[in-house]
Amino acid sequence: MSSSTKFLTLKTCDDKKFVLDEAIAVRSQTIKNMVEDDCVSNVIPLPNVDSKTMTKVIEYWKKHSEEGISKDMLMDFDKAFVKVHHSILHALILAANFLNDKEMLDMMCQEVVDRIKGKTPEEIRKEFDIKNDFTPEEEEEIRKENAWAFE
Amino acid sequence: MKSEASHRRPKRRRLRKRTEIPSKDSMGCLPEELIEAILVRVPVKYLLQFKCVSKNWFNLISSPEFVKTHLNFSANDYTRHISLLQFREDIKYCSVSSLFHNSVSEALDLDCPMKNPPQRVYISGSVNGLVCLADGFSGLVLWNPSIRKFKKVFGFMPTQMRECWSKCGFGYDEVHDDYKVVGIFSSMIKANFEAAIYSLKSDSWRTLEDFKPGVSYCGEAKFVNHKLHWITFRRLRMHITSIDLVDEKWGKLELPSYNKGRDLKLGVLGSDLSVLFNYDERTHSDVWVMKEYGVKASWTKLYTIRYPENYELSPPLFMYTKGEILLAFKSTFAIYDPKNDSLTYPEVPNVEVTGFYNRIEAELCIESLVCPDLPSED
Repeated sequence: MSSSTKFLTLKTCDDKKFVLDEAIAVRSQTIKNMVEDDCVSNVIPLPNVDSKTMTKVIEYWKKHSEEGISKDMLMDFDKAFVKVHHSILHALILAANFLNDKEMLDMMCQEVVDRIKGKTPEEIRKEFDIKNDFTPEEEEEIRKENAWAFE
Repeated sequence: MKSEASHRRPKRRRLRKRTEIPSKDSMGCLPEELIEAILVRVPVKYLLQFKCVSKNWFNLISSPEFVKTHLNFSANDYTRHISLLQFREDIKYCSVSSLFHNSVSEALDLDCPMKNPPQRVYISGSVNGLVCLADGFSGLVLWNPSIRKFKKVFGFMPTQMRECWSKCGFGYDEVHDDYKVVGIFSSMIKANFEAAIYSLKSDSWRTLEDFKPGVSYCGEAKFVNHKLHWITFRRLRMHITSIDLVDEKWGKLELPSYNKGRDLKLGVLGSDLSVLFNYDERTHSDVWVMKEYGVKASWTKLYTIRYPENYELSPPLFMYTKGEILLAFKSTFAIYDPKNDSLTYPEVPNVEVTGFYNRIEAELCIESLVCPDLPSED
């Protein structure tokens, strides 16, 4: 590591501090913008991310910043990384979105897609805490419109 | 959970194993922008099901903005591409990624919206998931096979020309967000040519000015760079004639100078115009690509494809990242791999490979939600 390595301190919403190499932390476009705009004081607050989630995010960032890591190794890492419980996936998506890490967000979104593909609308509602606001007649109408897709 | 504050140097590589106690068994609520980021990745068939999740989801999936975002996403993802095989009266489709990756691919039947055509159905082009079907006479249909919706286009014949035979091309006018069909009509009785353009937005035909008579339009029209292109033949010389779908002006492009084969076919490879030269001996074909649109010197010969039998190849349909190209050969698919100069045939059990000369047409199509039959809003 070069002598010019700069460290940033990130503070999550539950007041935990993470000290991280700036070169790694700027994988977050949000942090990068703050660094570039020179509005970084000692500590960068991350009011939307908790420490549990941030630990996961940093694990991802570090792996993806490792020198000389092969594509296959990263693919295996990513595959294992997304195999988390729904609630963690949810938190990671929100964090990736807040931190504006497109690569990570894309990967998490794709994982959600793989999980919901082929689920019934009822299962989807449960998955995303959505209330069915259609009347049974309205829902039937929409189903009829694309009946073949439900076969 | 321990924070990492005490670690000055981010050197730790070992992944920490954590066991989580699930708080609940669902993803929970997500803001709409993230729901959208997820749904643009969902294949069309599932989206049609997800329309009945809630009014919010219905409105999102139906909105023109979402349809466009989803389309852009699909256009860059070859697993969302299907190849259509057109037989006399029916059309089958096959997933492009399956043709490249699976040992056996299934071709599924599509319910072709053109019933009992006078001769046969021609796929006259495909853009943004819409396919234009024509029967060579007055029948014309715009069809999205992935949502199974279609629109019949009426009035497709200049009134003064009876017994008319037509060729058409299909493309998209990005500036006016409009789908357009250009029809070239010729009377079967006397040499009388006319060209007209149909706009889906206005649902009407207009005669095209400056159409040069005496030019024969060969083969199918190909849509590249907001223009439709035909190989044209005039005074014993071949050119590419184009029409811009935005300003409706005609133009001309040069073919590659090296031009031995006389059987030329236009194609599209990625976003470039391509030409396939089938040699007279029918033993090999050359694939050329115009790398910089409109620049004659940028025509580049990509491949010479040798094949064992006396058949013609179709223009390349799709190039996979590793350089392999998908084509139609005889009545099925073929994949040409330039690395070892080999032509292989993906196994598609339910496509009959005919023994005699029976070339089929194939077309590439993106899965999309674009509906050809929307009531116009403006």
